[in-house]
Amino acid sequence: MRNVVIAGYARSPFHFAKKGDLAKVRPDELAAQVVKSLVERTGVNPDDLEDLILGCAFPEGEQGLNMARLVAFLADLPQSIGGVTVNRFCGSSMQSIHQAAGAIQLNAGEAFICAGVESMSRVPMMGFNPLPHPGLYKSNPNAYIGMGDTAENVADKYGISRKAMEEFAVASHQKAAKAQADGKLKPEIVTIEGVEADGCIRGDASMEGLADLKPAFNENGSVTAGTSSPLTDGASAVLVCSEDYADKHGLDKIARIKSVAVSGCAPEVMGIGPVGASKKALERAGIKAADLDVVELNEAFASQALACISDLGLDQGKINLDGGAIALGHPLGATGARIVGKAASLLKREGGKYALASQCIGGGQGIATILEAI
Amino acid sequence: MAEINKVAVIGAGVMGAGIAAHVANAGHEVLLLDIVPDGAEDRSGIAKGAIAKLLKADPAPLSHKRNAKRIMPGNIEDNLDALSECDWIIEAVIERLDIKQSLYEKIDAVRKPDAVVSSNTSTIPLEQLTAKMSASMQENFLITHFFNPPRYMRLLEVVSGEKTSADAVARVSAFSDHKLGKSIVTCKDRPGFIANRLGIYWVATAIQEAMDQGLTIEEADAVAGRPCGVPKTGVFALMDLVGLDLMPHVVGSMLDALPKDDPFVTGHKPNPLIEKLIADGYTGRKGKGGFYRLNREGGQKVKEGIDLKTGEFRPSIRASLESAKLKPQKLRDLVTHEDKGGQFAWKVLAKTLSYAANLVPEAADDIVAVDEAMRLGYNWKFGPFELIDMMGADWFAEALEKDGMDVPGLLKIASGKSFYRIEGNKVQYLTVDGDYADRARPEGVIMLEDIKRGQQPVLKNGSASVWDIGDGVLCFEFTSKMNSLDAEILGLIKKTVRLVQKDYKALVVYNEGSNFSAGANLGLALFAANIAAWPEIENIVETGQEAYKALKYAPFPVVGAPSGMALGGGCEILLHCDAVQAHLETYIGLVECGVGLVPAWGGCKELIDRWTKNPKWPNGAMAPVGKAFEIISTATVAKSAEEAKTHLFFRDHDRITMNRYRLLADAKAYALELVDGYEAPEESTYRLPGESAKVAFEMAVDGFHRMGKATDYDRVVAGELGAVLSGGDTDVTEELSEDDVLELERDAFMRLARKSGTLARVEHMLLKGKPLRN
Repeated sequence: MRNVVIAGYARSPFHFAKKGDLAKVRPDELAAQVVKSLVERTGVNPDDLEDLILGCAFPEGEQGLNMARLVAFLADLPQSIGGVTVNRFCGSSMQSIHQAAGAIQLNAGEAFICAGVESMSRVPMMGFNPLPHPGLYKSNPNAYIGMGDTAENVADKYGISRKAMEEFAVASHQKAAKAQADGKLKPEIVTIEGVEADGCIRGDASMEGLADLKPAFNENGSVTAGTSSPLTDGASAVLVCSEDYADKHGLDKIARIKSVAVSGCAPEVMGIGPVGASKKALERAGIKAADLDVVELNEAFASQALACISDLGLDQGKINLDGGAIALGHPLGATGARIVGKAASLLKREGGKYALASQCIGGGQGIATILEAI
Repeated sequence: MAEINKVAVIGAGVMGAGIAAHVANAGHEVLLLDIVPDGAEDRSGIAKGAIAKLLKADPAPLSHKRNAKRIMPGNIEDNLDALSECDWIIEAVIERLDIKQSLYEKIDAVRKPDAVVSSNTSTIPLEQLTAKMSASMQENFLITHFFNPPRYMRLLEVVSGEKTSADAVARVSAFSDHKLGKSIVTCKDRPGFIANRLGIYWVATAIQEAMDQGLTIEEADAVAGRPCGVPKTGVFALMDLVGLDLMPHVVGSMLDALPKDDPFVTGHKPNPLIEKLIADGYTGRKGKGGFYRLNREGGQKVKEGIDLKTGEFRPSIRASLESAKLKPQKLRDLVTHEDKGGQFAWKVLAKTLSYAANLVPEAADDIVAVDEAMRLGYNWKFGPFELIDMMGADWFAEALEKDGMDVPGLLKIASGKSFYRIEGNKVQYLTVDGDYADRARPEGVIMLEDIKRGQQPVLKNGSASVWDIGDGVLCFEFTSKMNSLDAEILGLIKKTVRLVQKDYKALVVYNEGSNFSAGANLGLALFAANIAAWPEIENIVETGQEAYKALKYAPFPVVGAPSGMALGGGCEILLHCDAVQAHLETYIGLVECGVGLVPAWGGCKELIDRWTKNPKWPNGAMAPVGKAFEIISTATVAKSAEEAKTHLFFRDHDRITMNRYRLLADAKAYALELVDGYEAPEESTYRLPGESAKVAFEMAVDGFHRMGKATDYDRVVAGELGAVLSGGDTDVTEELSEDDVLELERDAFMRLARKSGTLARVEHMLLKGKPLRN
């Protein structure tokens, strides 16, 4: 089998939806600028690209049609490259990486741009026309359960206290703020319309401040806006190619894809999705959780992140070293490519052998990618 | 006459920023400048901070948040040159003559030759302001005294000097009238002008009398308020509202400026209680309280009032004086009432109204100016001379004499007469010569009040009248209590439509109540429900639907002209007009869910239609009904006519009138404009998503319920609203007619009307005036 590598990673700054600096930027434009920059930074010959695979959780409005093809046009990529938009909600752009890896191993291409984007300012969560199936809603209402409610369910089921969630959130902000201050985020960020840096990080987040917040989803609950990832605008992209191709063209190999997995779970506790997916991926990679040196675990909510950490037996000290989605933001379709790209970069930066990137997905799924140092 | 286009306000305090905001509301660019504080990092920080505050202030100084973009912040050191582009420069800086004069010098150096400069001073005479001014600036200088808050207070006192050119006064007056919606009251260059001179005298007198006569603050407010036609804040709560700390400053400057024998000066006594309250930080509602406060000690909110004798706070005591229960028109009964409220009212009114009589001609040319100033500057329902007329001028003069008080000269002139009279169909007022003169309206103003004096209604019943306002236009006026809508009104609408079709060109729906209409008559509805008169209730729903549809499809233009609240059925009638000419201060919304009902006089139907046709809104069956659901289920009320456009209660072609007095004239002109080539609109058809939308609404409401933002019964009401907006059992492939949607409205309304949760909400609203959260 051919080896598949991550040979480049870039993303836009992440900003609060509606009130942030990217609210006025169209998602297709946002994604195109990131893709264009990634191609330039990696030095990949655009003519060699097989496909642009673009993840997006609510592909309608400005994110509609086949946005991937339009982004290819906007990014001035050669006409010969394909474009496909994929949707696995929050797992969309990790899925785009998995698709590329599969295609490479199938000998169906050498190099792929795997990107993701979400403008939660311009296309609301649930989209403009949510039309649930009345029969399904009746027989299985959890099929449409709101994300905040799942976070409460996970907190209940796994006994995650509000205080633990708040500690986790404060740590996320502190790690992100430090990384930002140390210039560790800068290399991955593409300046968009003059916006150079992330906008959601709150280095001054405190336990006292978080304790004052009201529950966001259930008046008797424990999950607040402070322990949830914010609505965010952002785009990300990675270059996925065969290791042979990378070697031949002298591309910077960041990490090798060792294994991937998706797995379903109960929709009402969708936050636990990474557990099943990660276990599968670990098994496929032939390693144990203890073998992981770097973990990028998406922080949709502190409750689910903590539950996954505990269930998988992960080492807190190895998780989300530069902060997670609670601090950085979670532009749904863009997060998967970000955490894979980030895990690869961290593996290189920090040293070590294996990295895991995993996230939960609305509707009850998890997705995971295991990377191996080169 | 050069038009005023760009405006500058110097001084970004509460007044300056508020004036700038209102200029921006009028659609004009405005420069807002203030000083550069020592060591400031941002040299325009004060003005920028003021704009940020405008966006948060309540009541909102901006009629739409986006208007803030028309205000350009700056400072008087770096941005003085920008004044050269301004047609009107308003100075609203601190009340210090030296500071103002030095600022005028700077302005004079850069202003356009014909730029008008005015001061918003409330205490400094024009004569002093202009003392060191160049001759050319004096020609273009006047005082424009706004009231706080500038967006809402309709009075503008204008003082011009001997050298002020008529053109400068005319330009500022025209702009302030038409664009800022102000009523111009010309004042003489006397201390405090008219409203504050009299208003502050009245407040000081009432506070002193309450203390002397041993009334509680609650009793004093109850007597000095409603029974006198004054807002219920009376005097003590009014002081809390405007700020106690303002009082010594304004009173002080008045004492300095007025002659020593002026009753303001002779009657003045220092008030240690007010001084102590201010010293203790009780400056009013903006601080921790004033005469009244909310005591939050011990976790509970207890309303407290100051004991005028001990100077200590104690729990508020509801006033139980009989005199406080009298209606405003019973003024003679009030001042002769035997309880202590009667004596208090007499002393306060005797002194205040006498003082008012002495202001003509000293501070005002005529009584009309004084009455208008008090009505619009202090929100009195009646001006002082109207109050005297209520008692009778002779009776009042006699009562003064009996009490050993001086009878003012003007009151002697009025002997055997009244201050106002109706001659023919015109209102006339008593001049200082003892003659009567016509009370003139500003040019172009049409008031229904005036029209009604000269004619009989074309149609009339117990709840509405129809008036001929000339040029082939009829005016439909609600006359019911609070302008609530009932079967009589709906019946008369149908008749009116037939009449206009036969003999007239257009119809305007307008009235001069403080609110256009707060909606259907809930009292009647509750009564009908209590006796289970379901067919009658359904009948009135159906009649309303028919009447409003008749308006919409009438073969002539119908223009709605609201001011104040237009809620529920009052909103729905406007949704069925061809066009709306709204006063800026129109507060419109479909609030039926608050009383456990759904809009059923076509409100759902019209709002869906508007959002469906909105080109800026996403396509798809769910998007428009989703928006309508959001607006109606939360009983959204727009806080201005401008904001109403963002909810599509009003459309792009609907227009806004800034000056309340000009509303009818504008509406009539608009209606006439639509007459030529008028064609009734085509009926809309609807493609609604059906059951899946209902499910989506249910999911959303359940989420709000879990968050604690929706109550148990909200879910029931929202469920029925969802049943209407989703289109019921329809499918997106099917087409519905307006009547189909009306039927859905009616059915949902009737199902809710039979539920105890709805009746509890209606009853609560009728009793308490606010929604029940059951």
